[in-house]
Formats: sequence, structure tokens, C-alpha cells
Amino acid sequence: MLSYITKRLVAGLITVWFIATATFIAMHLVPGDPLMNQKAVSAEIRLNLERKYGLDKPVVEQYFIFLGNMLTGDFGISYTQQNRKVNDIIKDHFPVSATLGILAIFFATLGGILWGAITAVYKNRLPDIIIMFLVILGISVPSFVFAALGQLLLVNLNQLVGQSVLPVAGWGTFSHMLMPSMVLGLSTMALLTRLMRSSMLDVVNEDYIKTAKAKGLSPLRIFFRHQLRNAILPVITVLGPQIAAITTGGFVVELVFAIPGLGRYFVQAVQQLDYTVIMGTTVFYGSFLVLMVILVDIVYGFIDPRVRLQ
Amino acid sequence: MTANILEVTNLSVEFETFGGTVQAVRGVSFAVEAGKTLAIVGESGCGKSVTVQSVMGIIPMPPGKITSGSAKVKGEEILGLTAIEANRYRGVEIGMIFQDPMTSLNPSMTIGNQIAETLVVHRGKSHSEALAMAIKLLDRTHIPEASKRARQYPFEFSGGMLQRAMIAQSLACNPSLLIADEPTTALDVTIQEQILELLTELQRTEGMSILLITHDLAVVARMADQVAVMYAGQIIERGSLDDIFYRSAHPYTLGLKSAMPSNTGRGDKRLQPIPGSPPDLFSPPQGCGYAARCPQAMQICKRKLPVLTEDPGDSGHLSRCWLQHKDAPDVEELYQPLKLKGTSSAH
Repeated sequence: MLSYITKRLVAGLITVWFIATATFIAMHLVPGDPLMNQKAVSAEIRLNLERKYGLDKPVVEQYFIFLGNMLTGDFGISYTQQNRKVNDIIKDHFPVSATLGILAIFFATLGGILWGAITAVYKNRLPDIIIMFLVILGISVPSFVFAALGQLLLVNLNQLVGQSVLPVAGWGTFSHMLMPSMVLGLSTMALLTRLMRSSMLDVVNEDYIKTAKAKGLSPLRIFFRHQLRNAILPVITVLGPQIAAITTGGFVVELVFAIPGLGRYFVQAVQQLDYTVIMGTTVFYGSFLVLMVILVDIVYGFIDPRVRLQ
Repeated sequence: MTANILEVTNLSVEFETFGGTVQAVRGVSFAVEAGKTLAIVGESGCGKSVTVQSVMGIIPMPPGKITSGSAKVKGEEILGLTAIEANRYRGVEIGMIFQDPMTSLNPSMTIGNQIAETLVVHRGKSHSEALAMAIKLLDRTHIPEASKRARQYPFEFSGGMLQRAMIAQSLACNPSLLIADEPTTALDVTIQEQILELLTELQRTEGMSILLITHDLAVVARMADQVAVMYAGQIIERGSLDDIFYRSAHPYTLGLKSAMPSNTGRGDKRLQPIPGSPPDLFSPPQGCGYAARCPQAMQICKRKLPVLTEDPGDSGHLSRCWLQHKDAPDVEELYQPLKLKGTSSAH
């Protein structure tokens, strides 16, 4: 088990290095540089700035300087935000995105497994048809529409009650997190519902369900002990990438609900070619994704005994 | 006359499909005597598995539907019970093992826990008590290092060992009947023999009845006291092992026997396949289901379904064939090339 985890972590490190390198190359291939976003400056000032930031050096040298700094955990200072270290940006804003993301994943997994199981039990009957219709909506409608609708709902609710039950936007308390995390988790929930439904229907036809029936087990016991556990496996497989996608992809929802998450800085940095912030956030998110995938694989081993020994 | 553990009368089962209604089982009756083995034999799709799975109440309904008939375990009707009511006999009075042991056990539960589960549910044992009993059961089915094996998962077992574990599981509550639905089909021949040996041994020590479903006449000859031959959803011949092998009354039974290899005959004997294929059960023929393939078919066979009639000189030997009618010619005279009597290919 330990050697398995070590092996996965080493492979993960190589992946992160690859992500960093690819991002570095892609970033430098984009025309322009961080200084071009500023107001027009004279050639001398530009030269001075380039020298100050090391942008006058050959790209290959810049790459190795960046790698060396990355190994010490230093991503440098933002080009566009005065005196802000990239590490500080991540430290200040990632916990917000992570909290939102974890809550969203919680809603999505719980809902996905629940709705998926219900649709499988009521296959081709009314509850199944209604839920599967909503699932299609959840997958195809973009999250900013749901975000706006969610806000509208909260406004109406607050008006109806006459006081602020749940805040419409902002960040701080748990009540701030509720609506945005549900909105953020919606498409993942829809995806997991579909996955869970088909996986449940596969398992129902398995021979061991027939065996369980022949053993004289109650339908409830068969459902929970034999069906659900085996059906959850495929859902857990996609959970790793989904966790990463949700924690990093919450940009739009964060914007609509005015949440100070990391997503905004990630997108802004790319628009402004803020080299250090791009590299910092990408490598950070990349490592996070890799870590989540490894984590899910380990959890998977606990649920499916066949995975453990490999 | 011994008591019957299981009595099935006039059982009919249909399946609703997109193509129409399949009449998978059409009026099947049989009985399993206490301590004896009844083998239901027939080719794929003849309805033998559906018959026993309907008795167990484990065919999917819908699309499956039991349209008529009764099944009594020790005199108590078990068809039409709710799932909860049926669990009084499933796993308790009747144990069941299946064709493919590789897929018949839950892959994410240890073998020990799966066996123990039956005892926890039906006998109200605590988990640790049940687990200890499960290890004893594994021991009884000759699984070496039972206590270590009980902690393992199905993927760590071989096919033969899994079938032993399945048998151990089905025996947990000392059932009076074990239904074995093609128990050796998925196993290779040497393992097959070991499993059959185990079943024989357990029947001797536990005194249970066995209802054996198979398409393998060699297995029938090895195991059965009574035999029922199924064809196109009906039992076409029923009787003791000797009745079926030495005094076959139905041309289909004769056909099956001549299609079976034998090691007692001379090497130059060629196997005779039965030409054609079974009838379409979406719209079964109004006459005998075998008429289209039967070398002895008469005019009446295609028009009218024969009834199960008892051989006058042979009590308990029934067959569903017009040749059994008092005006019909003798079957075995008609089936000369076989020379049945004395040259049986029972083993």
C-alpha cells in the first residue's frame, strides 16, 4: 500500500512538472508580455522594467530560474497587483474557493447518489422521467443562469418573509455559502445522477443480486448492502477530476455571488499575462488535481477490494 | 410413499418482451421427494431455469409473469407471496446455487460475511457467531484454511472454490431442498466431478433433497433418482433414472441419448444430432412442440397436444407423446437403429 502511494506521488510530481513546463511554453507563445498591459511607456523605462523583472534574459534561462524558484515554493510577485506575492494570493483566496468547492461536491455527491438510486428504482416511471428531465437541464444550462436564478429565488424568499433569511451575495458565514455551493454543484450532481442511474441498473442485473434474493434477504438489505456499494464505484472514479473541476471552475459562480475566491485571479492573470500569477495558480491547481485523483484512487481501494493488491 | 418436499403443479410463466409474449414455461408439474434428487434436463431455452427461478420467486417481474400453477414447499403454497413472506422459505427451506460462481457472489464483500449474512438474517445470530458458523460451513464443503479463506474476497477464489463457497452459503440454514441451477456448467470437467461428489456427500450427511437443473445427461446419470425431461417449456417425459435411460418413451429423450457420446459402444458409432431447432415460444405450435423435428411424427402430433400419460406397465413413468396412445405403434420398434435396451449410454 505504501509503495503504491509513493509510486503514485512520484508519477504525480512528474505530471505537475509537465503541467508547469507546458504552461510556461504556452504562456510565452502568447504575443505580448505583462508590461504591454500598462500605459504606453518609453523604451528606456520598458528596458529598465524588463531588466528588473528578468524579462530581458533568454526564455530558457527564465524557465530554469522559474523552476528553481518553484522548487523552493516561491512563485514570485504579481506583475499587476502591487506588492502582492503569488503565494499570498493563493493563501488568501484558495481557502474560500476550497470551502465553496467542498460544499458543492458534498451536495453533488449526496444528491447524485440519491437521485440516481431513485431513478433506477423507478425506472421508466414518473419519478424517473421527472428527475431525468431535470438532469438534462442541469447538464445543459450554464451555471451563471442558475446562479442568477438562485439569487432571484433568494431575493423573492427574503421579500416574502420580510427579512433576510439567506444573503443574496457576499461571503463570510455558512448562510452565504449555501446557495452558491448548490448552484456550483448542480451540473456535477446531474452528471453523477446519470452515472449512478446506469450503474445501479447494471448492478440490478448482476448474478449476485439474484443470489442475494435466493438467500432470502429483504429488498432493503439487498439495496443497501449489495446493490448500492457496488453501484457507487463508477461514481467515485469520476469524483477526483470533478472535485478539482469544481474548486477551480467556480469562477463564474464566484463572480455572480461576489465571492472572493481564487478563480477570479486565475482568469484575470491570463487576461493580463501576469506571468507569475499564471504559473503560480496553474501549478497550484494542477498539483491539487493530481492530489485529488490519487486520493480518490486510495479511497477506491477501500471500497473495491480488487483494487487494493495491485 | 415418501413425503414430497416440493410440489409444483401446472406452472406457467410468460415474459412480456418488445417482440411479444414468450411462453417460457407451459404447464409444468413435478415433485421432489424427501432426500432424493430430481434432475430437470433439457437444452438451452427449454424453460428449465425459468421454472426453478419462478419457484424461488427470483425471475424479474415484470417482464416475467406467473400465469398459473402452484408450488408447495412441505404442503405450503409459496407462489404469489410478497418478497417479505417469501423470505421465510428462501434461504431457509430452499437453498440455491447458480451456474456461474464467478459472478454469483458479491465482489465487494468477503466470502465469510456473505455466508454469515444468511445466518444473521434468518437465525438472528450475532455477526461474530455467524462468522464462526460460516467458517465451519466452509470447512464442511472442504475449503482448506477456512478461517483464512472466510476473510478473502470472491476474486481471490478459483471457480471451483467459489462454487464450494456458494454451496456452503446455501447450506447455512440447513435447507430441506437445494436447487442447483446448472451447478457445474461453468467449471472444467475435473472440478465438475469434485462438485458433484461434494453434493452427493452432503446429500448423504444432511439428508436434503436436490433439484438439479442441467443439460448434461452424464451429470443426470451420476446424480439423479428422478428425471424430468423438458422441451419447449413443457415436461415431455418424467420418471425414475432407469425409466428415462433404459425405457425412454419419448422420441426427444431418445434423440438426446443418441446425440450423447458414450464410452461403452464401439468406436465406429457416430453421434446422431437432432435435426432442426426448438419451436418459437412466441407462438408455440398447437400440437406437440417436438413434432417438427420428430422422426416418428404422425398426423395428429401437429394438430393436437398430447397429454402426459403414464406408461401402463411402469408406474410413475409419464410421457407426453401420441405414441403412448393405445392405438399407436411401439416407439422402440420405430427407433431400431439405436438398440436401446442393454446398450445404454448412461455413463
